[in-house]
Amino acid sequence: MTSTSNIPKGPLNGIRIIDFTWKAVGPWSSRMLTPYGAEVIHIEPPHEPDDHRWDIRPAVGPNFDIQAKHNDHLFGNGADYYSAPYYSQLHNGKLSASLNARSPRGKELLEELIKKSDAVVENFSARVLGNWGLSWERLHELNPKLVYLSTSGFGHEGSLSHYRTYGPIVQAESGLTFTSGLPGREPAGWGYSHMDIAGGWIGGLGLIMALMQARKTGVGTHVDYAVTEGAMTLLGPYFLDYHANGRPTRRPGFPPGNHSEWPGVAPHNTYRCAGIDRQGQDWWVFIACETQEQFEAFANAIGKPELLADPKFGTMAARKANEAELDEIISTWTAPRRRYEIQDQLQAVGVIAVAVQGPEDRVDYDPQLRHRNVYPLIQNPEVGEYEIEGFVPKLSRTPPDNTLRATAVRENEQYVFGDLLGLSESEMATLRSEGVI
Amino acid sequence: MSKVFDGLTVIELADRRNQMVGKIMSDAGARVIQIEPTRGSPGRWVGPYLNDVQDPNKSLDYWWYNTGKESVALDITRLPGQQMLRRLIEQADVFVESTKPGTLAKYGLDYASVAPSNSKLIYASLSDFGQDGPWAQLEMNDPAHLALGGQMGVGGYSDPKETPIGGQGRQAYNAASVITTHSISIALWDRMTTDLGQYIDVAIHDCCAICTERPVSYWMWYNQPSVRQTGQHAGPVYALPIQVQAADGRYMNARFNFPNNVWPKMVEWLKELDVVGDLTSEKWNDPPTRAEAAKVGGEIEVALKALLAKVPAQEAFERAQSMGLTWGVIRAPEENLDISHFKERNFWRDIEHEDIGKTLPYPRGFYFSEGLDVSPDGRAPHLGEHTKAILTEKLGMDAAQVDMLVQTGVVR
Repeated sequence: MTSTSNIPKGPLNGIRIIDFTWKAVGPWSSRMLTPYGAEVIHIEPPHEPDDHRWDIRPAVGPNFDIQAKHNDHLFGNGADYYSAPYYSQLHNGKLSASLNARSPRGKELLEELIKKSDAVVENFSARVLGNWGLSWERLHELNPKLVYLSTSGFGHEGSLSHYRTYGPIVQAESGLTFTSGLPGREPAGWGYSHMDIAGGWIGGLGLIMALMQARKTGVGTHVDYAVTEGAMTLLGPYFLDYHANGRPTRRPGFPPGNHSEWPGVAPHNTYRCAGIDRQGQDWWVFIACETQEQFEAFANAIGKPELLADPKFGTMAARKANEAELDEIISTWTAPRRRYEIQDQLQAVGVIAVAVQGPEDRVDYDPQLRHRNVYPLIQNPEVGEYEIEGFVPKLSRTPPDNTLRATAVRENEQYVFGDLLGLSESEMATLRSEGVI
Repeated sequence: MSKVFDGLTVIELADRRNQMVGKIMSDAGARVIQIEPTRGSPGRWVGPYLNDVQDPNKSLDYWWYNTGKESVALDITRLPGQQMLRRLIEQADVFVESTKPGTLAKYGLDYASVAPSNSKLIYASLSDFGQDGPWAQLEMNDPAHLALGGQMGVGGYSDPKETPIGGQGRQAYNAASVITTHSISIALWDRMTTDLGQYIDVAIHDCCAICTERPVSYWMWYNQPSVRQTGQHAGPVYALPIQVQAADGRYMNARFNFPNNVWPKMVEWLKELDVVGDLTSEKWNDPPTRAEAAKVGGEIEVALKALLAKVPAQEAFERAQSMGLTWGVIRAPEENLDISHFKERNFWRDIEHEDIGKTLPYPRGFYFSEGLDVSPDGRAPHLGEHTKAILTEKLGMDAAQVDMLVQTGVVR
């Protein structure tokens, strides 16, 4: 295999990105460009491969201790760290090289690489690149066209910039966690790091916009992306309500669970259905009637047309005022029924009704996701094929390549240090022995 | 300094799903013309409203998602409206729409119909399920996407009988809008070389389905189903709660694992508040013992809950962070207004609302960047505020022609 065989033809051919990302939010930002042909060189410290190469691992069972053994059926048996499937999602299509940027020679090599690149992306804590001697000023001096995307919890400027975060802390601090929960109960949160995934997409958007700006103006820029601010930007109306109306979100009744405050719609909730999942959790269906027509169709479909003439439920305002009683009526109807049957029956008459799907439902059943090939199979040369979560937009002229994989540790070292930087095999051997690469 | 999308014209067919796309593009310099029904965008009929008085020009939700746009109120269900929109699209760089598949084909406004007269057009459809597939015609809203797409199924409380919970704030639409704007940016990049536009098909359901992180991985690769857990990641097994109430009633996100360099400081803090229990004993200096306690609870959990019950959340946050602990406060959004950090980063941008005689601070947007200034450019438009001006400028109509269209109800 040639060292750059992973790069598909695409509109971003010729764009080179130096990628120091890890965990999830950083990797996503550059991972969104590889399907379009960007050359993203993911750099890991020598002897310390990215921890997602062995994560996600089984949480229970005989393979729990996989980090030490690397003998899982999806990892392969090799010492090459071909990587866990999750790494193939986060670093999909990237090239791999290792470099100790803290060593003088490593820094020299990195600076040479930066001169030949279009962007540097990283999501270390705020001081790391500066500690390497690679402040924005230095990066800009090395390469005036360079784009620098730094992703961190609180950003690189400001009095909280040195505070530590990970996805859940960003969500907590921004207010995003607070918006999810039942009224009067402790916050429920999101159940996953929304700001690691959607937050990573926001970083990716900033990266392509900054690259375009550099292409237009010839001058690169530093995008200081604080993920906490990213999350606050997703909560805009709450800030305006506070300023314009003086209404805080920390008030009785907020968050409203799965009810809808604005617009004031009822019914609008989850309702328990027949059956439980493999973990013993009840199955649920989400139902909403946003219009009078939908409620009329709904009342008829559940065999309760009398609700339409009932002063407690005849209008949207009345339904909202008597929401708890309406929820009880609906729950009685849904309880013995299957969630997908409810979805089919109510959707057939134009009512918003969908199963609350778990991971198994999406991966193994959801006919729409199958039709759209949202979980494509990819090839791993070591262990064969496996599914990953693909990159989902469809572009008619420049479709993203959804067949890419991640690379093994150091797989592209010859390309990066030999072809790009012109080092000989013996020079590379020396650097290896010195722990620089 | 110029903005990245300066000089681009975006036509956005008003819908709650796509208004974030136009907002980001406007914030990044594009001229965004929103085509609304004559009764107003569906986004105008969502509260909260200024002073809680329902008025299509006073929806705060609409204000947020439509900063800097222009409004043309145009009935595209009628032939003259369809003709005008077609001519506007012919002159545009980008068209964004969120109708059900097939809707615009009926009006001769689908990509196949408009592309021949504008080969540079980037036509982006951001829809519930994309343009094809067995569920393409289902009725949806944002929480329905969180339910079907997976967010709700992994979010909620540790009680298996309790309802799953989807977060507020239209985060399905927001996330899919970010993907759509990214796709438009890729298409614009390609167009800089080829001079050719293209068609973009983004499904909100697809975006949600790849956005829930670990639970899909656990099932896809290891056949391990996950449980919902209060205030933390869903996973195959229940973990020790990490959400703890502080003395002021607010909750903290506080994990109970302590590296060696932090543990003595933690013990000191526990001592100060007289809740240290037996944690001064030698065995707790052993990292595996502490790591085990972080999984199963016991003395450390009891002591930390007792500690936080005596300390207000902000104080606990600052002290924990100063010790090197990754803890945070579960804040209500508005509680960030008083935090100087965001002021130092110029996060609040004053937007003038001359119509109500007020200036309101809006969030700046995602990025702090001088060179990539993506920030709101003026208030949201009133309904039809720019109809006459744009029909005159873009379609060459005179006042009499526009008046006639107003009288016949085609425009407003």
